[in-house]
Amino acid sequence: MASRPKRRAAQGERQRSSLHTGFLAHASFAWLKVAILVSLTSLVSYFLVDVAPRHNGGSWYGYTLGTIGALLIVWLALLGIRKRAMTRGAWSLKAWTSAHVYLGLSLAVIGTLHSGFQLGWNVHTLSWSLMMLVIVSGIWGITVYSMLPSALSNNRDERTQAQMLDDIRGIDRQLHEAAQPLNADDAAIVRGSLDQDPFAGSTWSRLSGRYKDCATASALGAVRIHTGPRHDSGHDPMEKIDVLLTRKLAALGRLRRHLKLKALLEVWLYIHVPMTFALIAALTAHIVSVFFYW
Amino acid sequence: MSFLLRRVSITADGREIIRSSACDKNQISIGRDAACDVHLADLAVNPSHATITTNDGRHIEVQTTSGLGFEWDGRTVTSATIDAGDGAELRFGGHRITVGVDSEAPNPRILLTIARTDELSHSALDRDEAQAFSLRGLLPGRRLSAWAFSLLLLAAFLIAPIWAYMSWRGVEERPASFHADMSWSSGPLSSAHASLSRDCQSCHTDAFVAVTDTACKSCHDDAHDHAPMDRQLAARGEPGMFRAALIRIGAAFNRDQGRCVDCHNEHEGAGPMPATAQQFCTDCHQDMSSRLTDTRIGDAGDFGTSHPQFRPRVQVTPGATPRFARVTLNAQTSDVGGLKFPHNMHLQQAGGVARMARSLRMTNGRTSGLDCANCHKPTADGVRFEPVDMERDCQSCHSLSFESVGGVTRTLRHGEPGQVVADLYAYYRSTPPTRPISLGGMARRRPGEFAQGQIYNIYFRETAARPTRADDAVRAVFSRGGACYDCHTIFAPAAGNSNWRVLPVNQPMRYLEHGWFDHRPHDEEECSTCHAAARSSSANQLLIPEIKVCRDCHGGENSGADVESPCASCHEYHAGARANAPWQPARRSNGRRQEGRARRE
Repeated sequence: MASRPKRRAAQGERQRSSLHTGFLAHASFAWLKVAILVSLTSLVSYFLVDVAPRHNGGSWYGYTLGTIGALLIVWLALLGIRKRAMTRGAWSLKAWTSAHVYLGLSLAVIGTLHSGFQLGWNVHTLSWSLMMLVIVSGIWGITVYSMLPSALSNNRDERTQAQMLDDIRGIDRQLHEAAQPLNADDAAIVRGSLDQDPFAGSTWSRLSGRYKDCATASALGAVRIHTGPRHDSGHDPMEKIDVLLTRKLAALGRLRRHLKLKALLEVWLYIHVPMTFALIAALTAHIVSVFFYW
Repeated sequence: MSFLLRRVSITADGREIIRSSACDKNQISIGRDAACDVHLADLAVNPSHATITTNDGRHIEVQTTSGLGFEWDGRTVTSATIDAGDGAELRFGGHRITVGVDSEAPNPRILLTIARTDELSHSALDRDEAQAFSLRGLLPGRRLSAWAFSLLLLAAFLIAPIWAYMSWRGVEERPASFHADMSWSSGPLSSAHASLSRDCQSCHTDAFVAVTDTACKSCHDDAHDHAPMDRQLAARGEPGMFRAALIRIGAAFNRDQGRCVDCHNEHEGAGPMPATAQQFCTDCHQDMSSRLTDTRIGDAGDFGTSHPQFRPRVQVTPGATPRFARVTLNAQTSDVGGLKFPHNMHLQQAGGVARMARSLRMTNGRTSGLDCANCHKPTADGVRFEPVDMERDCQSCHSLSFESVGGVTRTLRHGEPGQVVADLYAYYRSTPPTRPISLGGMARRRPGEFAQGQIYNIYFRETAARPTRADDAVRAVFSRGGACYDCHTIFAPAAGNSNWRVLPVNQPMRYLEHGWFDHRPHDEEECSTCHAAARSSSANQLLIPEIKVCRDCHGGENSGADVESPCASCHEYHAGARANAPWQPARRSNGRRQEGRARRE
């Protein structure tokens, strides 16, 4: 009986710790230490082991590193399956992710030493390049995960994505209304802004936040030619449109910053995941080729 | 004639609301202006866009008034005449006007149904939030690209190379084009094998079978085994635990020990094949005598520190049945070649030999007497020197001529003692000594004409001293003071015959038959750096330098010596019946050769 509250307390503690430490600092950076140990061991042994005529993937040492590296790659890729099951404890998903990150970094050392720095235009170097691409994209992912969420949150200003879009919709309705008295040419200017998809733009626009063909910006520019030199009369419909376009541009700016940050958070996975599979394919070819032309 | 306008609008919850109004006019206006009969709050519509006229309540004429067209059944036009009974659909901006006839009215009436079809703005469109706010629509899906890349790579780097292997199996030489399995090459082949770069199957004959010696020997059919395998294994000793494990793993993966490729590593980069490491040899040879107790080969490690003294093969007993022996080289080592030749006398820079060399213009400007090159000529390949040839190298001083006939000099035949004897007999049979011309004639000789008397005396003394018989001349030639005796050991004939014999001369071009020495890389050195000929008074003294002389410049691999020389610099692993030049590393000097020489000087 007495053990039950204790267990509950222990559970609570575990829960707290798992909520408050990120996967990078998990278990006081235990996996970072393991990864450093693995990398240093590989490095030191690389210089201690004498391979004739020079280090290459085909020596006993090269094969050892290669086997470790290949198994590590497969295990690292298994995160894609493992992540679908959230668990707690020593073998929690967080622990697994922490190990994924740090052992993935040490893979760069193991894989490169396995190559013996002999690179060329062949399937072996292709595998190495893909491995490095996956690792570098992973490093990028970790970097943005640790830096961008605060920027994302600041930009949102406690608004949801739907609210951001609703802002724009509201402004658009007002713009539509305000533009009714305009002649055909002026109406066309406003219509340009209304007809443009706020989510339009290339991948590059998304990532850079620069939208050269922004119809709202050009509409505002055109309206300013009209309103700029005049006094504020209070009953020129163009004045209202000027105000509305300015507000829309601000709302679009917030939306686009949001899209940019989200894209930066997301884009690495579009490299990391497909390249992992490409790596596994190239690795298969690499291993088969070695044994095929043994 | 009139129109019935029916406006359809949709509420927020999706219900349709229809408002109808009649317009008793023949002509109605359409536009964004609120004054228009058909008011379309649409920025794509002009304030006054078009008019619709009907005269019979059945046919209408639509005419734009703003210059801006409208859509009529999908085509953009500026005017249209429509039979309302057939119906039509007009589009003004984001609005649709369906034309029909109001059949319920007592008088023919045109029915126009007006509905907004487009949203006010693009932002108002419904969209999937998760999709719109992510990159999903912009980039190809992760799963799709993962599959695409994987299949592409497998096709290009697995299927295609295997296909190439299967297609060219058993083919002697592939055509000079790209073959997919070349992408499997882990690095360029060495220069010797560069031509095989596209013919993977020339070495990798069978899939999943490690390169066999058979593949190597299909070209290298003259490669010798280093030693019988049992002796090699004995020399190598018992492998340690780690090495034994490696051997077991290698065997499990079908990679036996002792294959050619164990030492001859390929795909290690273009250029000459990398040097076989010194350790490869010293693993066995360093202290081989402890494992291979009956070996006659000295233990050898690093050339600079633990290499046995050279053991040249010298002639111990000359003659018709000579005896040779390998002896350990030292300053007293002699090679009884059968020749008498004092190097020191010939290399003196003053004295008779030097004077003769000068008078015959044989000096080369640097010396005032003879130097080595006057007598020793390198072989065509420059590796070593040819045997000294009497006619070419000695005879300009040591003349064998004995008579001049009509300006042609007659010479004793070198190397043929029988011919020498015969020539001398023939000479004495046919000729008296030549009588000086001044002794003849009728000129009166006066007393005191000393000079003339001198000639006379010389002649007669000569005549007197001259062998009167050929036998004497032959004996003189072969005896002390004679032309042959100076250089050769002569065996006099037994009494009663003239079978003079000369001890055969042996001039080996090579003394170190288990190592290789090439003079060419040493051509910047003086001969005297290594060969102490100037102090040698006997031709029997072997002038091959001892190992310590070599060690002035040469040391073992990674020894830091001026010239780092691993075993393979001089020794060939596969040396067979004809020992050729061993493989040479590309970099033979570590760049301090000049410096080393300067230091020695």
